[in-house]
Amino acid sequence: MKKKVNVRSLCFKIGFILILLIISAVMLVIGRGHTIYLDNKKAEINGTQYDAYRKITVYVNGEKLAKLSAKDRGMAENMGQTFSMTLEYEKEKGDEAKTEEFTLKLPYNLDGIVVNLPALLEGVPQEDCMSEFVSLLAADDTEEEEEIVTDEFALGDF
Amino acid sequence: MNETLERTGFKGRVKSAIDSFGLPRLIIACFLLLLFVMAPIVGADFATQITNTLNRFSWNAVLVLAMVPMIHSGCGLNFGLPLGIISGLLGATLSIELGFTGGFSFVMAILLATPFAILFGVGYGWLLNKIKGGEMMIATYVGFSSVSLMCMMWLLLPYHSPTMVWGLAGKGLRTTISLEGFYDKVLANFLKISIGNLSIPVGTILFFAVLAFAMWAFLHTKTGTAMTAVGSNPTFAKAAGVNVDKMRMLSVVMSTWLAAIGILVYEQGFGFIQLYMAPFNMALPAVSAILIGGASVNKASITNVIIGTFLFQGIVTMTPTVMNSMIHMDMSEVIRIIVSNGMILYALTRKTEGSK
Amino acid sequence: MKNENSNGFGKKLKTFLASNSVPIMFILICAVCIPISGFSISYLLNEIVTRMGRNIFLILALLIPIMAGMGLNFGMTLGAMAAEIALIFVADLQIWGIPGVILAMIFSIPISIVLGIVCGKILNRSKGREMITSYIISYFINGIYQLVVLYMMGPIIPIKHSSIKLPRGYGIRNTVSLLNMRRCLDNVFAVTVGGVKIPVLTFILIGLLCLFIIWFRKTKLGQDMRAVGQDMEVARDAGIDVEKTRVISIVMSTVLAGFGMVIYLQNMGNIATYSSHSQIGMFCIAALLVGGASVEKASIGNVFLGVILFHTMFIVAPSAGAKITGDSMIGEYFRVFVSYAVITVALVMYETKKRREKGKLGAQLQEDQEAEEKKAKEAKA
Repeated sequence: MKKKVNVRSLCFKIGFILILLIISAVMLVIGRGHTIYLDNKKAEINGTQYDAYRKITVYVNGEKLAKLSAKDRGMAENMGQTFSMTLEYEKEKGDEAKTEEFTLKLPYNLDGIVVNLPALLEGVPQEDCMSEFVSLLAADDTEEEEEIVTDEFALGDF
Repeated sequence: MNETLERTGFKGRVKSAIDSFGLPRLIIACFLLLLFVMAPIVGADFATQITNTLNRFSWNAVLVLAMVPMIHSGCGLNFGLPLGIISGLLGATLSIELGFTGGFSFVMAILLATPFAILFGVGYGWLLNKIKGGEMMIATYVGFSSVSLMCMMWLLLPYHSPTMVWGLAGKGLRTTISLEGFYDKVLANFLKISIGNLSIPVGTILFFAVLAFAMWAFLHTKTGTAMTAVGSNPTFAKAAGVNVDKMRMLSVVMSTWLAAIGILVYEQGFGFIQLYMAPFNMALPAVSAILIGGASVNKASITNVIIGTFLFQGIVTMTPTVMNSMIHMDMSEVIRIIVSNGMILYALTRKTEGSK
Repeated sequence: MKNENSNGFGKKLKTFLASNSVPIMFILICAVCIPISGFSISYLLNEIVTRMGRNIFLILALLIPIMAGMGLNFGMTLGAMAAEIALIFVADLQIWGIPGVILAMIFSIPISIVLGIVCGKILNRSKGREMITSYIISYFINGIYQLVVLYMMGPIIPIKHSSIKLPRGYGIRNTVSLLNMRRCLDNVFAVTVGGVKIPVLTFILIGLLCLFIIWFRKTKLGQDMRAVGQDMEVARDAGIDVEKTRVISIVMSTVLAGFGMVIYLQNMGNIATYSSHSQIGMFCIAALLVGGASVEKASIGNVFLGVILFHTMFIVAPSAGAKITGDSMIGEYFRVFVSYAVITVALVMYETKKRREKGKLGAQLQEDQEAEEKKAKEAKA
C-alpha cells in the first residue's frame, strides 16, 4: 500500500519536472531576443556587388519602423527566430515605389544580426544577407575595472 | 556504555578529540597553518605578515574580550556590540570636541565614553532581562536600531570642531575623522619593539593584557563566580540567593563598556574614527573570533579570546596576500564572510548544555 | 448598566489600540509626513501601487514559516539570491520579456529548493533560536553567493556576454541590465485609472498566491504545519513528522521568495548583483510587521496594510526629513532606523508575551501540583 502511494507521488514529481522542462524549452525558443540591424548600404556578397537603394521604408507589424536613405542603418528588436517585415523601396530616383514582404529565419546563436536590404531585395538567399553584428565597444578592452559594491547598510530603495 | 566503547581505540580517541575541539575550528586552524606555510613559498615576507597579524590582533582583541561577560551570565553572544561601540564613538568625538589633544585625548575619550556606556548598558540590560531566552535576536536589532538612530544624531548634534565637521556646511560630523594630532597610535607606539621588518605594538597588547587580566580576576571573585553560576544554572543560582537580573545587568554593562574601550583601542591603531554605518557589522567579526577561539554560546574564557582573535585576524590578514600571489584573485573578503558566519552558524546549531 | 457598557467599549477600544499599536503609529507618521513632503496625491498613489505590485509577492513568502511556528524567515534572502542567479543566466541567454521571466522562475526553483533544504536542516538543529540562525544563514549563504557570482561565473560557469561579465574576465558586474524584460509583467493588461497605472497581471499573480495560501492552510500539510507551530511535542505525538514539515515550510518560503524576487527585479529593470538581496529580507519583514503582524501570527491582510503604510513612510520620509532639517540624508537614515526599530519592537513584544505565557503556564503547573499534593495529604489523613 505504502509503496503504491510512493510510486504515484514519484510519477507526479517526474511529470511535474518534465512539464517544467518542456515549458523552459519553449521559453528558450520563443523568448530568445535578437537585435536586428537593417542596412541600406553597399555590399559585396558571393562576389557580386549590390548598391544601396535610394530609399527603403521598413514596416513591422504594420507600423513604420524606419525610413532608410542610402548608407542608413535601422534597428529592430525581435523575440523568437522569425522576423517579418514589409519593405517599401525605390531603387533609383524616379522609380515608382514597390512593396515586398520578407520573413527572415534568424540564426539562434546570434545576438545582433546585420541584414543587408539591397542584397535581400535583389534576391540573394536570406542566409547570405545576414551577418553577425560585432560591437565596436565590445572590442575595447581598455575598460576600467569596476569596484564591487556590496550594500550591507540598507540605504538603498526597496 | 556506548561512549566508552567509542572512546577506546585510536580511531575513537581521535574522533572524541575532534569532537571536543570542533571540526570547523580544526579546519580553520589548519587553514591558517597552511597560509603560514604558503606565505614564504609564494614570496610574502614572513616578518611583515606576523607584524600585520599582531597589529590587527592588538586592535581587535578588546572588542572580542567584550563578548566574555555576557556569555558568562547566559545572555548569549553579544550581537548588540554596536551599542557599546557607539558609546565609545561618543567619547571619542566629545574628547576631540572639548579640545583635548595627543595621548591625553585617549584618556579623556575613555572617561567620557564611560557614562554613556553605563547608561546604554543599563537600558540594554533592562531590556534583555525582560526577554530572557530571546537575547541574541533582539540584541542584533538593538544594535542596528541604535546605529541608525545615531546616524541621524551625528548629523544633528551640535558638534563644531573643524577637524570633525564637514568643511562646507560647518555642521554634521564627517564619515571618517583622522586622529592625527590626537590619539593616533598612542598605545601602539608605546614601548614598540622593532626588529627589521618585524614590529610589535607592545603598548596595545599590554593594554589588552591588563584588561584581560582584570576580567580573569573578576571572574574569580565572588561576584564573578555568581555571574558564571547565573549563566550555567539560573535556577540553582536563584536558589543560592543570587540576584539573577542584577548579575545579568552587570554583565551587560561590562560588555558594553568593554566594547566602548575596544573601539577606542581599534581607532588608535587604525588612525581614524569611523562614524555612521561603520559600527553596523562590527559585531559579527568579534562574535566569530571568540567562537573560533573555542567558546560556545554559553561558555567562554580569556584563552578563547586570545586564540580566537589571533586565528581570525591571522586569516583576515594572510589570505589577501597569499591568495593574491597564488591565484591572482583576491578572495579574502568572501573567505572572511564564509568563515566568520559559518563559525557562528556552527555554534548556534550545537546543542549546548544548559541552553534554553 | 449604561456605565458598564461604556466601560466595555472603553476596554475594547483599549485592547484594539494595544493590539494595533504599530499600524496606528505608522498611520500617524504618514499623516504628519505626507503634507510636509509636498508630494501630490496622484504621485503617491502611483508609487504605492507600483511598490505593491513589486513587493507583495515577496512578503507573502514569509507567511508559511510563521504558520509553522518558525518565526520571521530571515532566510528568505536565499530565495532572492536564487532568483538573481537565475536571472543572470536568463540575461546571458538573452531571453527577453515574459518568456524570460517564466524561465527565470523555473531556473530559480532547483536553486531555491537546495538552499531551502539546507536552511531547513540547519534550523532543525537550532530549535528555539530559528530567527537568529536564519539571519546568520542569510549572511553565510551571501558569502557563498559572492563566491559563485564573483569568482566562479566566467571560468567555471560559462558567461558569454561582456555586458554582464567584469572586464577582468571573471565575476559579474555590479549591475546586470534587465532592460529587455523591464516591467514586462506589469505592462500586460495594465490599466490606468485616474492617472494611476495598475499592473493588473502582477496583481493577478499576487491574488493567485493569496488563494493558494488560503487553500494551503486547509490542506493536510497546512494543518500539520499549524499543529507543529502550536506545539512540536503534541504534533510529534500525533504522528506528524515535525522535522520534515518544518523543512517543507522553509523550502516553500524560499521558492516563493525566489518568484517574488523575479517579479521585483523585472519591475526594477536591473539587478544590483551584490546588494539587491542583502536587505530585502529586512525590509519585507519590517513591512509585514508594520501591517500589524507578529512573530507568531500574520495574515494576508497584514501584508497589504503593511506594504501600503511602510512604503508611504518610505517614500515620504527622505523628502519630509529634508524639509524639516534641511539635510536629505536625515530622512534616509530615518527610514532605515524606523525599519529596524519596528522589527526590534515586534521582537521584544513577542518575547515578553512568550515569557509571560510561560510564566502563566508555570504558575498553573505549580498550582496543579499543590492541589494534587493537598489531595494526596487529605487522602492519607
